[in-house]
Amino acid sequence: MSAPGKKVFELFVSKIPWTLGTKEVKEYFGQFGHVRKCLLPFDKGTGFHKGFCWIGYTTEEGLHNALHKDPHVVEGSKLQVQQNMMPFTWRRMDKEAEES
Amino acid sequence: MRSSGALLPVTWDGCPFATLCRLNMAALLRSARALNLSASPLLLSPCSSAWPCSGTRYYGTPAEQKVVARDEPSLGVRNKQSHQFDWALAKLDSSVRRTGRVTKSLLQRIFHDICRTGYPSGNQALLLLRSCGSLLPELPLAERTEFAHHIWGKLLELGAAYDVSHYNALLKVYLQNEFKFSPTEFLAKMEAANVQPNRVTYQRLIAAYCQVGDIEGASKVLGFMKSKDLPITEAVFNSLVTGHSRAGDMESAVNILSVMRGTGIDPGPDTYLALLVAYAEKGDMDKIKETLNQVENTDISLMDRDLMQVVFTLTVAGHQQHVPEVLEHLRHDGGFVPDAMNLCLSLITQGHESTAFMLLKTFPSVQADSQNSNGPDVGNFFLRHCVNTNKSPEELVGFCKGLMDSNLHAAPMQFTLYCALEAKKMAIEVMKTMKEEGLPIRPHYFWPLLAQHKRDQNTAGTLEVLKAMQELSTEPDIDTYCNYVLRTFPSVDSARTALAVLGCMWLCVLAVPHWSFLGLSAVSSPSLPAIDIGVFRGNLITLVSLSYFLLVHVCTGNLVPPRPENMAYFLYHLFDGMSETEVQAKEEVLREYLQQLHKKGICIPVNIYRGIRNILDSHHVPELIKVPLLCNCYTELNQEVASSSHTWLMTSTAPQGLESRVTLERKLEELKAQGSSGDSAGAALIFKRLISAVCAEENLPRALELKAEHEDKMSPSCYALLINLCCRHDNPEEALNLKRELARMDSEATLDVNKYMSLLRVLSKHNRLEEAVDILKEMKEKDVVVKDTAVVLLFHTFSAVALRGDVAALRRLQDTTFALGLAKPTSNLCSPMVTMYLEKGDFAGALEAVMECETQYHQLPRIHDVLCGIVKKGDTELLQKAMDFVSQQRGEMTVLYDLFFAFLQTGRYREARKIIETPGLRAKPGRLQWYAEKCIGSNQMEALETMVDLTAKLFECDRDEMYHYLLCLCKDTNDWSKAEAVWTKMQEENVIPRERTLRLLADIFKTNNQEVPFEVPEVKQPSSVTAFSSVAYAVLYTSSWWSLMSLGAVYHAEAYNVLKEAERLGKALVPACYDALIKALLSSGSMEDAMAVKDIRKQTCLSLSFPDALASLKTMLQMDQVPSQLALTRLVQGLGNHGDIKGIQEVASLIKSLSPSLNMSSMLFVNNMALAHIKNGDLERALEDLESLYTQTADHSQQSIAFVFRKVVEAHNDEAFDKLRTMAERLCHQFASYKPATDLFLQCLDTGRVEEARQLLQVASLRQRLRPFSISRGAAQTCRIKNLLELIPDFAEKELVYAYMMKCHAMDKNLEAAKALYRRMQAEGLQMNELSLKRLAQLYKKAGEPVPFEEPPETFKFYADKLKASTLPSPEDD
Repeated sequence: MSAPGKKVFELFVSKIPWTLGTKEVKEYFGQFGHVRKCLLPFDKGTGFHKGFCWIGYTTEEGLHNALHKDPHVVEGSKLQVQQNMMPFTWRRMDKEAEES
Repeated sequence: MRSSGALLPVTWDGCPFATLCRLNMAALLRSARALNLSASPLLLSPCSSAWPCSGTRYYGTPAEQKVVARDEPSLGVRNKQSHQFDWALAKLDSSVRRTGRVTKSLLQRIFHDICRTGYPSGNQALLLLRSCGSLLPELPLAERTEFAHHIWGKLLELGAAYDVSHYNALLKVYLQNEFKFSPTEFLAKMEAANVQPNRVTYQRLIAAYCQVGDIEGASKVLGFMKSKDLPITEAVFNSLVTGHSRAGDMESAVNILSVMRGTGIDPGPDTYLALLVAYAEKGDMDKIKETLNQVENTDISLMDRDLMQVVFTLTVAGHQQHVPEVLEHLRHDGGFVPDAMNLCLSLITQGHESTAFMLLKTFPSVQADSQNSNGPDVGNFFLRHCVNTNKSPEELVGFCKGLMDSNLHAAPMQFTLYCALEAKKMAIEVMKTMKEEGLPIRPHYFWPLLAQHKRDQNTAGTLEVLKAMQELSTEPDIDTYCNYVLRTFPSVDSARTALAVLGCMWLCVLAVPHWSFLGLSAVSSPSLPAIDIGVFRGNLITLVSLSYFLLVHVCTGNLVPPRPENMAYFLYHLFDGMSETEVQAKEEVLREYLQQLHKKGICIPVNIYRGIRNILDSHHVPELIKVPLLCNCYTELNQEVASSSHTWLMTSTAPQGLESRVTLERKLEELKAQGSSGDSAGAALIFKRLISAVCAEENLPRALELKAEHEDKMSPSCYALLINLCCRHDNPEEALNLKRELARMDSEATLDVNKYMSLLRVLSKHNRLEEAVDILKEMKEKDVVVKDTAVVLLFHTFSAVALRGDVAALRRLQDTTFALGLAKPTSNLCSPMVTMYLEKGDFAGALEAVMECETQYHQLPRIHDVLCGIVKKGDTELLQKAMDFVSQQRGEMTVLYDLFFAFLQTGRYREARKIIETPGLRAKPGRLQWYAEKCIGSNQMEALETMVDLTAKLFECDRDEMYHYLLCLCKDTNDWSKAEAVWTKMQEENVIPRERTLRLLADIFKTNNQEVPFEVPEVKQPSSVTAFSSVAYAVLYTSSWWSLMSLGAVYHAEAYNVLKEAERLGKALVPACYDALIKALLSSGSMEDAMAVKDIRKQTCLSLSFPDALASLKTMLQMDQVPSQLALTRLVQGLGNHGDIKGIQEVASLIKSLSPSLNMSSMLFVNNMALAHIKNGDLERALEDLESLYTQTADHSQQSIAFVFRKVVEAHNDEAFDKLRTMAERLCHQFASYKPATDLFLQCLDTGRVEEARQLLQVASLRQRLRPFSISRGAAQTCRIKNLLELIPDFAEKELVYAYMMKCHAMDKNLEAAKALYRRMQAEGLQMNELSLKRLAQLYKKAGEPVPFEEPPETFKFYADKLKASTLPSPEDD
């Protein structure tokens, strides 16, 4: 959970082909700005990733550069890229949890 | 006609086979019986190939099956289970409908599910059996049959009742799998099981004989069919074509076609297919071409699927060189791709992958558009199946290259690797080839393999993979080591040793600290009071094992659990991070942990619960949700729903008794006689009642007289009544006069929509168009909404104008209505214009009208009738015009269906068939339903039957649905023999009836006193009114009641009936039931019923007798009804109130044994037991029990005995109160248990026992333990807050308390108190929040006083949300 006030510049990327690993995804999104974090969750049971990931940029600029490019095609596959809305939801859920 | 002629009986004159049929079936059966008897020991031996599953127990008679069925434990459990795997069956069914195939794993999973839960129903068994034939192209033929036998035997063991449809399905599977069996034995088995063979059975037995070229055997069966007067259908002849050809007699095979014609049956596509297949077996390409040409000259069209059969036969018979030539004939129509896929799969399964690849290359390549630039990926299924069937890596590489070269697939190698990794086959080999091709090999490609080894703890396998990685020069990264490699080894040391061999020591060293860090952080956390989960949150998914580790420690008590909401997040992330397999594998352990957490008093907020539920659902472990910890949330959710309908109130309007006109007139006279001093308002009221009485008598002259006499008393509503009366009496003149007078009196006066509609009707009827248009305009101005019944009235008005033939008037009215937006231009509202022309037989005019409607309003009213008219008239030019227009406007599909229905309707079935066989046409369920319902409504059996026949091969057509329509009509006409024919037809077509279809069929049989020849599926919804055995039973019935209510309108009627019956029997339901039903009835527009329910509710008082209730609970449990939590709570409370200790204990044990899924709060029983003891005067016992509750368990934040306090206070039982208070104080001092004292304190506040509260506060030093939280919990009650403030003037969160107080004042509408509060806050220098200000302002306004400050401009909701968004819990959140 990010502290309120501290801005996060995150992408939510889906439709990632199984052939790409964390390294490749990070490399690709690195071209738009410095990537602070790259979270590509893997299913430990099957050994395959789940097809989506979060990319955190250090700057807003990186986020915007990435969002401006369309389509994002990596190794012949089109990725679906959008700004991450999850932090917002998490905060909201925290609130509700505290109230109830 | 492909199959509609199939039921035609055949005359046998001149049939050459008739002479062959010496032996009749009875003889055949006799011999079979003899054979069966003598062969039974033989049959039991394992070498019997015909019935691998044989053994007489599999063929139990229905009587035996019934015994098994009666032995079953519980219908309730059964229903629940059947619900559980309904989705699976639906999935199977949809897979078949969509793709024409089923995967083995899906089928196995469902089969396994059914076995595990038991009680397979008839159609579930049918669905499973049916799926074991050509629907499994990925399985070798022998394996399919084996599976079918396995299913057959297993389901029989589980008590499935087999009827003739099952035997027929098994026969079909045999035929599809080319399984060699003995038809006579088969018949003997059927006879032994007491199942009568039917037409379809014989047909398939003939096919079985023919499959092996045994014409003699086929003829025997045929003779028997003849003797039984069974119709000989096309299917039989088709089999004979095959039979003769397999017997090596092509001449006779060809001859069958002329024999068919001789008996009045035209050879259909299947006949020609049989012939083509026969030639294909011989590899006779010339004859194939000749036959194809021959077919082209008939009006028969062969589908791609048929030609694929030819391709298959050619290949299997070793003539693959001819395949390309046949492929050229493919049309690539509607279902091409799924059919071709199935053919490819079958070919691969049988080792003909090169032919399959030939076919694959004819697949349409998906045009890769630049926008959606995922490369083409045709052939995934092909590659996967090749991997699964162990084709060699070289061959696979060849296919991959072929796919790339022909641009069908962008990355076939990668996909092949994916499949190989999934199947854990050849993956390393594929990667080696990829490396040779210059494709990158990444570390995570190896993870699926390592994951498997990790699961198996297979260190050797792991090391092998690592070696392969080295060979492929791919360095394992940290994740590879941490997540997969190291975890395979029992200890760090063993890992280090093993890996050292491979020379990966340095990485290991790197990895180990990382690893131990995880352990360390967990070990060190006991010292921390709460774990800051936030730190983990970002990494949790990668740290699932850590979280799991933590969970274990929390549960075992080594760790202090974090705050509840954090714990909830923790669980959410844990489940989210775990894979489906992991969760499933650890289900039991997880359940145990969750239960332990529950015991520790952890609770989960509802919103997070939803998230967890979704994850668990998607992981297919719905059982976990039922763990108490999670289940509580579930019930909380449900109670939200329940209470929302509970609080719903009905505004009651006192029903007015009908007063006679005479009485009213007399009263009015009396008032008049009293002179002007009399009560004018009262007189107006009586006058109004008089007017409505006169209107009810339809006495217009008298009404007008009265009006003239009492002009001064005419109110708008009186005018409205009179206007309506004039309209009913067809008097537009007077109606308009009255309307004008009304307008003069009150220009704002608005009539209701129905009265406007009557006006409109009368005016347009009398051709007063302008006035009618004015009415419409006025309606618009006054925002009168036209909907539901008013639309119908509008339609009738239009129709009436149309009937007069006044085009101009109709157009004017329609255009005005639609232009004003009073009503939407629906097809119905547009139709009168078309009707007008149709009535005159002017189809050209009608078509024009339709076209105009389409251009103006996008509606095609009555296009079906117009087309039917044109077709009947035979006006091809006009038909062309209509088709062109509709096609241009709505597309080709719409035209085709319109034409299809028009041809069906006019009996031109040949044309209809041509239309429906148009290549590329798909089933449109909505349109088919429309026509079917039309046929059912107008009793057109022939048209409906033809439609069902003609759509047999329509792509994606839901066959069960179609037959269901037919049965609906059979039901309407009560024609059971037709219904039976439909059922046989379904078997012939291999259709699996859904349960409702079977029920309908059974229903038709039963109403005609016919035996139902199959097992009728249980009705899942309890609906029997006789179930009401007592008052309390009705209460307990609530749970099923809710399920009835939640099912929608159809069941509302049912629920209403149940209620009426209950009333008749003098039973009562809980009030919530009534309220919910009223609400439901209102929402579906049944006003009268709703009022009736309301009355019933009023009359029924709820005096429950509890011993009776307990008895009912038992009955209910016996009847497998699951009581609702609410009902149980009431029952236990009632028992407590009566001091019925035994009763409570009994309920507790009953519930315990019922199932763990019904989770009641344990406090319910504890509290009520205590109350029962108190009631019985055994105060000591009660105290003892309660005290032990707090002294013997560690955590009691959730254990509230507030209920006991409240009841004691309410009962003014001071002795008990004092003792309880002493106990609470003692618990504070000796056990540091503040919960009881806090509860008691709040209870005192609530009941105004300020003194006791003050004492408690001091004695128990509660002050620092009271949190604003506790007051926000309870209902906002003025006295509680006031008392609280009085006792603790320095209460920390004053602003919050004041906010609550303002809410209370607002609720009490106490302006003075609110004002005082405002002043007090100002004096104390406190800011009042906007929500409270808004409340205060509202109070001022309601009292009619000016607001002395600026009222916050936004809505209440806005400020409530704003408050909620800030950290303080607001007074709105309860």
